[in-house]
Amino acid sequence: MTNIAKISALASAPPDTSGVWDDLVQQDRVHRRVYTDDSIFAREMDNIFAATWVYLAHESEIPEPNDFKLSWIGLREVIVARDEGGVVHAFSNRCSHRGASVCREHQGNAADFTCPYHGWRFDNRGQLFGIPGKSAYGPKFKSRDMNLARPAQLGSYKGFVFATLNPDAPPLLQHLGNAARYLDAWIDHNGGPENLCLAGAHRFRLACNWKMVWDNAGDGYHVPFSHQSLLVMTNDRYGGGDMAYFADADRSRMSNNALDNGHTVIDQRPGMHGESAWRQQRPQPGREPYEEHVAATYGEQAQRVLDTTVGAGMSLNIFPNLALIGNQVQVVQPLAVAATGVHWYATRRRDADAEVNTMRLRTQEDFPVMGEMDDASNFEGCQRGLTNSPEDEWVDMSRHYETGKDLPAEEGIVRGPVTTDLHMRNYYAEWKRLMKVQPTLQVNNGRLA
Amino acid sequence: MNVTTQSSAVGQRSYHHQPPSLYVINSFYEWVVEVSADLARIAVRDSAAVQAARVDEITRLLTLEARLLDQGTLAQENQRALAQEAYGHWLALFADECAYWIPANIPAADPRQTVALEFHDRRRLLDRVARLGTGFAFSQSPASHTSRQWSGLEIWPSPNRTDEWRARCSFMLVESREGHGRVLSGWNGFVLRETPDGLRIVLKQINLIDCDRMQGNNSFFL
Repeated sequence: MTNIAKISALASAPPDTSGVWDDLVQQDRVHRRVYTDDSIFAREMDNIFAATWVYLAHESEIPEPNDFKLSWIGLREVIVARDEGGVVHAFSNRCSHRGASVCREHQGNAADFTCPYHGWRFDNRGQLFGIPGKSAYGPKFKSRDMNLARPAQLGSYKGFVFATLNPDAPPLLQHLGNAARYLDAWIDHNGGPENLCLAGAHRFRLACNWKMVWDNAGDGYHVPFSHQSLLVMTNDRYGGGDMAYFADADRSRMSNNALDNGHTVIDQRPGMHGESAWRQQRPQPGREPYEEHVAATYGEQAQRVLDTTVGAGMSLNIFPNLALIGNQVQVVQPLAVAATGVHWYATRRRDADAEVNTMRLRTQEDFPVMGEMDDASNFEGCQRGLTNSPEDEWVDMSRHYETGKDLPAEEGIVRGPVTTDLHMRNYYAEWKRLMKVQPTLQVNNGRLA
Repeated sequence: MNVTTQSSAVGQRSYHHQPPSLYVINSFYEWVVEVSADLARIAVRDSAAVQAARVDEITRLLTLEARLLDQGTLAQENQRALAQEAYGHWLALFADECAYWIPANIPAADPRQTVALEFHDRRRLLDRVARLGTGFAFSQSPASHTSRQWSGLEIWPSPNRTDEWRARCSFMLVESREGHGRVLSGWNGFVLRETPDGLRIVLKQINLIDCDRMQGNNSFFL
């Protein structure tokens, strides 16, 4: 079967009965079209991003009554808003009249939204309350639900807000499954749910499919190669430090873990926090006076404070769009089959002093500036390679597939060496499960109770 | 591996990470926040407040600053030693206690509260230059080539000082990498100070017009 024939089969055949998904995503390799095909991307926007839980926002981004921010369910634009009573809502940024954007700002504070096209007004729960010239509409119109569309389910876990259009998706806690305890550990490293706040973002637009970014999020293999410049520079200038522990990673105690529902975590705490994560961190602006401040202020707790100023030592990936890396909250936003937004939200702590929070920010400016673009140039190279050389069909994910080193561990976790491709194999199993079915996608335009 | 930050001999500190970053403390942040507000202020300034000779000196310094960065990017690909030479001259234009700042917000947010796209001290600038020099900085392989124009230079004295000036100008930076062109644009703010070694840049603030939106590969110096 030629590639072209397969594409047309994809578009026409009932996906649940064709073997096309099993052909495209095999145990240890993935077909290039999964990254390059517009029709697959379009299906992902429904079957992956709308039909399972996706991360929308952190509650600290909208701390005050009437705060709002824009977010996305795949390509679908949604407003996440806190009403006057403090309750968080999510509704579509698509006017129920003709479809215009009722909100054109990325974030702000507003009790209501007025559509710029015909002046329809909605409160910050998404409910229609004003139509100019309303007497021109009749009873048939008035019998219709014309509020802004709310996703079928909205949920929050310790401040992380998720939504799905799928009314049949399992409850959020069940979706997080055994990833929740890693999420708990990451949140605890950052002061607990009541203290974690987002503090601005680095935002990048990459010319690659979103899964290039996701593949990398759980890739413990690339570090000494893609980030060689950082390792060499850090070694030359300071005699080693951050990420040096990836040099012979499979002999380390770091691990790569397959969790429930496609989630994964690289646990690099044994490498990064084994001695002291602070000591390994590349030097930040103001490092030395900060050490003096911490020593003078925190006494016996000083080392702990230093070590929590830097990353948690986990790369926790909540499929399909939330990656907790270092002390940052990374959000992957698909834009087109070969275009992806990556948002690295920095974090601060409400319970930390000004010096701690400043140092957290300077630390979080290190990798997006000096590491991310090296990866990005590789992702973009991969995209070109897969797009432009169609005869070369396969993307490999067989590392440690045949070594027997990915082993069952506690609570249903499968644990492998840190460089295993278990991360890809695990999330692709979930991806394939979701792509095979015909999900129910539902929004609610009715009035709230 | 010994990666301790400091090894203290009796009565004195020696610093593992050279040069130590002793000046980036709260008073420094207070100062950059005040300067940032002044640079961004909508004001009609007295164009005669700075002597012509000083205006000329600052103009030449900022011209050199931009030209060295362009030369660095043009040399980066095949003549890394030359690129390092250009960046060495460029860094020499900065005071020892300096900052290079690309805010992520408009107007620039307090860097103690909100992450910046970049907020570098001298040491991190040295790290950046050294990283480019390793030959493994894949985001700059192939390298970006840049040509930057700036204009609309305004210079005024820092309040209550006779040895320091503030300046701003708009810029347009054309970048070409892998055959694709991009334009980056915005305005730069500078603080320049007379030091025993001559006039030096104490602060360079790069205000991109789209700093709060998605950026491309800006892994060179702006």
